[in-house]
Amino acid sequence: MILGASFDTPAENKAFAEKFSFNFPLLCDTTRAMGLAYGATEAGASGGAKRIAVIIGPDGKVKQFVPKADSRSYPTEALKDL
Amino acid sequence: MLKAGDAAPDFKVKDHLGNEWTLAKLAGKNAVIWFYPKADTPG
Repeated sequence: MILGASFDTPAENKAFAEKFSFNFPLLCDTTRAMGLAYGATEAGASGGAKRIAVIIGPDGKVKQFVPKADSRSYPTEALKDL
Repeated sequence: MLKAGDAAPDFKVKDHLGNEWTLAKLAGKNAVIWFYPKADTPG
């Protein structure tokens, strides 16, 4: 499964999901805590999350960390590998 | 930076529809968490 994640509010992400008919959840990490834990931002940084992706296996362990997942097509591409 | 084999960090966040997600909710499946800078930006 795919989960999008950004620091946007639910309203912003809802508009995004509707505009592009995304059929996966968009996580609204408004506190940036998740982004910090996952390396999508740094302490004290402002602005948006970095375009990274993390693939997590069924055991809850990281299978792959993708430091540059920079296109909108990334999630679909990643799914092909799973 | 996270690397293969690390335990994925736990989290608790809501999605755009108000559903709550945690790491535990992903157990048993492969999951891709894809971060992007801002809703509705070109990419």
